[in-house]
Amino acid sequence: EFRIVGRVWHFFTSVRLALILIFAITAAVFAGTMIDHVPPSVRSDPAAYSQWLSRVEGTYGVFPTKVFDFLELFNVFRTLWFRALLGLLTVNIIVCTLNRWKGIWRTAFPPRIRMTDAFFQHARFNARYVLNEPAEAAAVTVRKGLKHARYRVSTEAGEGSVALYADRNRFSRFGTFVSHLALVLILAGTVVGGMWGLSDPEFIVPEGMTRDVGLGTDLSVQLEHFTDEYYTEGPPKDFRSDIVILKGGEEVKRGTVRVNSPMTYDGMKFHQSFFGQTAVMAVKTKEGTSLYDGPVPLAWQTREGNRPVGNFTLGSENLEVWVIGPKSGENDPLVPAGEMRIEIYESSSGALRTATNLSQGTEHDVSGLNFTFVREGRFTGLSVVKDPGVKIVWVASALMIIGLVMLFYMPHRRLWASCKEMPDGKTEVRLAMTGQRDSQVIAEFERVRQRVGKELRGRHAKDEPEQGGNHV
Amino acid sequence: MFEVSQYTFVAAMVALGVGLALYVINVFGPRGVRALSFNTGGTQESDSFSSAMKTAGRYGTILSVNAFGFLTASLIARWIAAGHGPFSNMHEFSVAFAWGTMGIYLYFEQQYHARSLGLLVLPIALGMLIYASTLPDDMQPLVPALQHEFLLSVHVAVAIGAYGAFAVGFGSSILFLVQQKKSMSWLPERTTLDEIGYRSVMIGFPLMALVIILGAVWAEIAWGRYWSWDPKETASLVTWLIYGGYLHARVIRGWRGERCAYLLLLGFAATMFTYFGNYFLGGLHSYG
Ligand code: HEM
Repeated sequence: EFRIVGRVWHFFTSVRLALILIFAITAAVFAGTMIDHVPPSVRSDPAAYSQWLSRVEGTYGVFPTKVFDFLELFNVFRTLWFRALLGLLTVNIIVCTLNRWKGIWRTAFPPRIRMTDAFFQHARFNARYVLNEPAEAAAVTVRKGLKHARYRVSTEAGEGSVALYADRNRFSRFGTFVSHLALVLILAGTVVGGMWGLSDPEFIVPEGMTRDVGLGTDLSVQLEHFTDEYYTEGPPKDFRSDIVILKGGEEVKRGTVRVNSPMTYDGMKFHQSFFGQTAVMAVKTKEGTSLYDGPVPLAWQTREGNRPVGNFTLGSENLEVWVIGPKSGENDPLVPAGEMRIEIYESSSGALRTATNLSQGTEHDVSGLNFTFVREGRFTGLSVVKDPGVKIVWVASALMIIGLVMLFYMPHRRLWASCKEMPDGKTEVRLAMTGQRDSQVIAEFERVRQRVGKELRGRHAKDEPEQGGNHV
Repeated sequence: MFEVSQYTFVAAMVALGVGLALYVINVFGPRGVRALSFNTGGTQESDSFSSAMKTAGRYGTILSVNAFGFLTASLIARWIAAGHGPFSNMHEFSVAFAWGTMGIYLYFEQQYHARSLGLLVLPIALGMLIYASTLPDDMQPLVPALQHEFLLSVHVAVAIGAYGAFAVGFGSSILFLVQQKKSMSWLPERTTLDEIGYRSVMIGFPLMALVIILGAVWAEIAWGRYWSWDPKETASLVTWLIYGGYLHARVIRGWRGERCAYLLLLGFAATMFTYFGNYFLGGLHSYG
């Protein structure tokens, strides 16, 4: 079974697999972005979903809609297969990174200190000096120069010669790990959020009302007041909801929620998301028994005419009442300003019983009941979210930036030096650096060479160093 | 203050336009002169000509540095006049885009002394300024969604840095492909152009990561969701992934040169799509 593990491991070390996965994910994301999204509440209700499908058929055509539905493209980001792709990519990243660990570990720690003469002659960046002192003394000087250039130096003394290895920013090599770990953690954070997070992006509370948050909590929210303010030029200036949060009916927090300034209680965040108009409605029987008395949020728009619309049910009468408000900002012939239109349907059959307009403040007898449109009001639309994965995502984001900065701005530099006594008693000092042929490496070698050269000259002013740098 | 920002904006545009003309003389001039002196056989004249070319280049740089200075002044004046970072509509974004591109280009010019790069990058900046001048430049107050002074400024400032770096990468890869087709002595060497491209990604890639992260932080505060697959979000992620592909191709596959240059072109196309994306994609970022 060891072979199987080895094969699986090998499968995941493939960069081609990564490319295929990234390509597939990109395609899915592209599809998910271009195609309409079905709201989660609609998706979980088969009847509502098939209704939704028949509506988008108008946009995409019958056959494409079938295909999109089959592939779950209306809901890509929540599908199993999309998550499976992300999971595979995660494993891929982890395996690839671990696979590189050994090589990186080796380069990050002192390698061979003593290099051959050929290495010094052929290194892409090299320099040579001749000094009038023993190898040990020369090595001390070179070491001092390298230390000044902020290199970490190890030495290895031999017979009439000293070898040195110097490097800086060796931790830079781990930048790759840090940034890939960050990617994995971001994916992990989204999974944690998806599994243990709660959210209701369209939590509506009319002014003066208290509504239960649901989502398995015993919290409820009361909206005291909603305010929308505008600049004199017209654009909106401020949207704010003064709310009270109750837990088991007891007030636990009170405050103002604005766009960009949410309210938090017990890990649950309340964000200002949208707002709208309500129609306060009163419905009585002929005998005067109240059937309904309260605000109806007009949170949707009618398909024709884009009028604000909302509904409520009269359970005892088996009726569903739709309330339609006037179009904003223009003269609406169907629903004049100051009026509300109601359409009454039978809950069981869905048949329209009657439709009429109500003017504000007057009682109307409609279909055997007494309807009053009392006044207009406001509702607030809050987005209620609890996402335990967010913290992981932020930590991962910080790691991503740290990893990238390590990789790009603190590159690992490695340099070897050798101080070797020659038959005439002088010491030959050689420097060699490996690296890409790019202007930053050239500049770095130049910097080190000057540092070391300065130290050498400082001690032996009359001994002009013989410079041999041939950086191609 | 508002007038100051308008005047300095126009000054920047003029300085950049004239500067760019001098770059053209500087880069193409010597070849014209060489052709001329070949015909007339006169060397005396061509010497003074080519020193004039050098002067043109120097003044070109001075002018574009000036243009950068004017634009900086314009941004600051507008910042003061508006009372918030001047990053709230397409006019302001475009001015900022030009500013970032010029700043990053000038850094590269100073590092690599390659004015021919400016021939490709500065027109992008000039184009952005001209485009900005066609948009209404009246200052609008911030709508509630944008009312987060710190994040608005940092998010956009980092974004223009990334866009500017990618514009430089675009310029270098075009020059690379030209150089590849027909070797020209007046262009930087191909290895240098390849390196400029890589360095531009070294700057742009982390900045773009930061843009996406800051956007996520902001979205989390404003809407409670750090990621909503909003078109602009998605486009910037795809852009980032393209440059990620470029880095991987270099490190893992050892790609250099031509194929890298094509990746940078693709990356810059994605960048422009991200920038103008809100025009044809809509979404939460449509404040244009
Ligand atoms: C979108 C996802 C990814 C991002 C953003 C990313 C980022 C990076 C970065 C920034 C580097 C360093 C480049 C440099 O040193 O100049 C890198 C290197 C590397 N990446 Fe990725 N990576 C991603 C996915 C992957 C995946 C899925 C694999 C696995 C196949 C992978 C394998 C590698 C390898 C092997 C290296 C070279 C490591 C080295 O030489 O030190 N990466 N990656």
